[in-house]
Amino acid sequence: MMKEAGDNKIFSFKNRLLRLRRDSNRWSLITLLVVFLIALPVLTIIFELFDGPGESWMHIVKNLLGQYVSNTVFLLIACSVMVLILGVTASWLVARYEFPFRKQLEWLLILPLAIPSYIVAYAYAGILDYGGSLELIQRYLGMEFTRIDIMNRFGLAFVLSISLFPYVYVSTRAFFLNSANNLLEASRMLGVGEIRSFFKLVLPLSRPAIIAGMILVLMEVLNDYGAAYYFGVNTFTTGIFRSWFSLEEPETAIYLSALLLLLVFALILFEKWQRRKIQYANESKKNERIYRKTTSKGKQFLIFCLVITPVIFGFFIPVAQLLYWAFLTYPSVFEYDFILLSMQTFGIAFLTATVTVILATLLIFAAKWNRISIIKSISRLGVLGYAIPGAVVAIGVMIPILALDRWLMDLVYKISGSPGGFIIHGTLFALVYAYAVRFLAVAYNPIESTALKVSNSIPDASKTLGVGNFKTFFKIEYPLIKTGLLSAFILVFVDVLKELPLTLILKPFQVNTLAVKAFEYASDERVMEAAIPSLFIIFTAAFPVIFLNKLLVKK
Amino acid sequence: MLRVNSLSKSFDKGKSFALKDVSFSLKEGDVYAIVGESGSGKTTLIRLIAGLETPDNGTIEINGKQVSSIHKIVSPEKRNIGFVFQEYALFPHLKLVENVMYGISKMKNKEQRANEVLELVGLLDLKDRYPHQLSGGQQQRVALARALAPSPSLLILDEPFSNLDAMLKAQLRNEVFDIVKKAGVTAIFVTHDTQDALSVADEILILQNGKLVQKDAAANLYSKPKSVYVASLFGSTIQLSKEIQSAFECPLKTDCCHAIRNENISINDECDYVTHATVLKKTFLGSDTQLLLRLDNGEHLTVVTKHNQIDERITIGFNSKDVLEFRE
Repeated sequence: MMKEAGDNKIFSFKNRLLRLRRDSNRWSLITLLVVFLIALPVLTIIFELFDGPGESWMHIVKNLLGQYVSNTVFLLIACSVMVLILGVTASWLVARYEFPFRKQLEWLLILPLAIPSYIVAYAYAGILDYGGSLELIQRYLGMEFTRIDIMNRFGLAFVLSISLFPYVYVSTRAFFLNSANNLLEASRMLGVGEIRSFFKLVLPLSRPAIIAGMILVLMEVLNDYGAAYYFGVNTFTTGIFRSWFSLEEPETAIYLSALLLLLVFALILFEKWQRRKIQYANESKKNERIYRKTTSKGKQFLIFCLVITPVIFGFFIPVAQLLYWAFLTYPSVFEYDFILLSMQTFGIAFLTATVTVILATLLIFAAKWNRISIIKSISRLGVLGYAIPGAVVAIGVMIPILALDRWLMDLVYKISGSPGGFIIHGTLFALVYAYAVRFLAVAYNPIESTALKVSNSIPDASKTLGVGNFKTFFKIEYPLIKTGLLSAFILVFVDVLKELPLTLILKPFQVNTLAVKAFEYASDERVMEAAIPSLFIIFTAAFPVIFLNKLLVKK
Repeated sequence: MLRVNSLSKSFDKGKSFALKDVSFSLKEGDVYAIVGESGSGKTTLIRLIAGLETPDNGTIEINGKQVSSIHKIVSPEKRNIGFVFQEYALFPHLKLVENVMYGISKMKNKEQRANEVLELVGLLDLKDRYPHQLSGGQQQRVALARALAPSPSLLILDEPFSNLDAMLKAQLRNEVFDIVKKAGVTAIFVTHDTQDALSVADEILILQNGKLVQKDAAANLYSKPKSVYVASLFGSTIQLSKEIQSAFECPLKTDCCHAIRNENISINDECDYVTHATVLKKTFLGSDTQLLLRLDNGEHLTVVTKHNQIDERITIGFNSKDVLEFRE
């Protein structure tokens, strides 16, 4: 009994406070600051809800909200089903069977990720339109032209799925390669056939991996603006744009954003819940040889066809269409202005990637150097930005910056007596800040995973040798995690190139990016001219997609 | 030179304690071993001393200066403690000599000092190699040289021999502690192997479930263990329950716990207390034989003996001076 009284004393409120004061250091503060910066857009949206909805809110609820909800939910369900079929089939066949060009197809299957969905949408609309490539081919073959109308929600679901299924492919392939092998062999030894083993054993066990990939797809579906807008499908994101730009009602945009956020958080909670107890860790040894089945020539050909089909539809067909358009339009598009635009885009991407990698590194290491465990947990919130649709991040960034600007303008007026203009609004600062919020997780994951490979005792050793945290980072940790920093940089760089909705809202007036340019061409009924900026994005993005694959395979 | 006072640490906010109310002090220049099973809190204790963890309660003083209390924590880089990590933690991208110079970059004669300690551990010839080019034993000596280079006031070694195979271990153990003794530094090392502790430590601290159960010189721990647990660390013991006491007809105090070491049980009748027993089972263990016995009052007992010619019926016994007594 005496001892228990002692325990209570150690963890009394007063002692907890004393320890909190003792253990707090500047890194605790920096961690909280970074998390606050990342969370600010979401906090803003929630806070602004209290100001009430705009004038058109009731009109939207009555006439449009039903459409937004039904289209968005339809897209979520349709895309889930399609990416599940496409992604799991491809990863299963690639992980389990030996067939011609398997190695090449393994990374080709990731390439659709290099094309932003809205560009896939432009390409397919062009192919299937009157006078499009399909009609030309059918005429050439002497067939009747049968038009397929893709400019609806079914078409949109197809376009989004075919460009996003690699997320499921990548996450499940990792599982199939690492864990499924032993289990399958055990199952086969017990006399259970391949197909039954797949449904009874592999599918349930790989559920967390499949759903993790699917959630990434669904986040991207909710984030999409370009494709939905081009196909004329009303979703939450297009609704936010309409309220912001056409109706000029920020309050309404905020209400729609809040609803969208609710949906996002529901997805995140679902993902956490479905993983609640499951800890089927990948306990298999590294470098284990993977035995793939070899089947008859005919079956191998069938497998080859099954695996290459999504690559053809997700990459080769759209790229072929774009190349054709590029050939038709390059004299008018490929001019001095275009080179300037490309430089500008790469400059912005470079700046953003640098800032984001620094912020992510700061968050990871500040959380580590801070000694308060609750702040360590809070630091994980910093990666949630990736789940929040770009349009919502943009609005959440815009509002506090406008408020800050108004305050600064008042200040300028008080000091100088003359009214000034916006200071931060409409500058690159707002754009880069918003990108950093959205892409922090993209940088965070590769840095964290390489940092985890460095045993804790290595920086600890440095500290016992009299070198502080900050210096230890530059002398010891930085050289050891360089590859992680580099891949983080490249991944953010590419994501910035592809980003559309956030850029449309926040880009400074005189600044443009390749993505925005492609969107503008397409919106102006000049979709052919969108081909060259699109191809620039695709070829820049394709390089790290392959690079990323190498990293994943190494893991 | 080191004074630890009612040190406690919990990793789950007080539900359980990795370390509970531990107090002791160490003398300048001696070598100490911390012995305990995994989970006994020994690693937590040395990490608290080094400043790599923060305690929930208690204080730590080094050379009269308080480095840890509920009000203030001196960070590890300012404690002047050398630490040799279990997995050595050499910096993989630095050469040996760079590893050793890492902690003395502000020293004037850093190269001379680095050469000095590398000489001490006998690796001066290899100073331009990288850690991955060395064997496990060599890596360990580099880790030791690196920790000794800044002339720490206290040297801590975490499970220094656990990564080495048995043959290498005995040899390296003596080598390492010769170096430590030569350097004249106060040293603490953590081990789960009692042999390590017995062979090199001046004093041994025994931890059990986060508590310090005994701190004493090796000979005293063997002859006067404070608990059955401590006694069992130095060889197998047999608890003398009431039933066994009655079989041997030895009248022992009733308010104490008693045990006898296995090696003090002999198969003859020239002891203070004896009894007859039937051998139920013999297990051949190489130089020893394990016997399962049924004493004449029906109690079962397992003993290990050097004898290999064992009859069906034997007489076993022990002397009163060998009985261990615990107040529990």
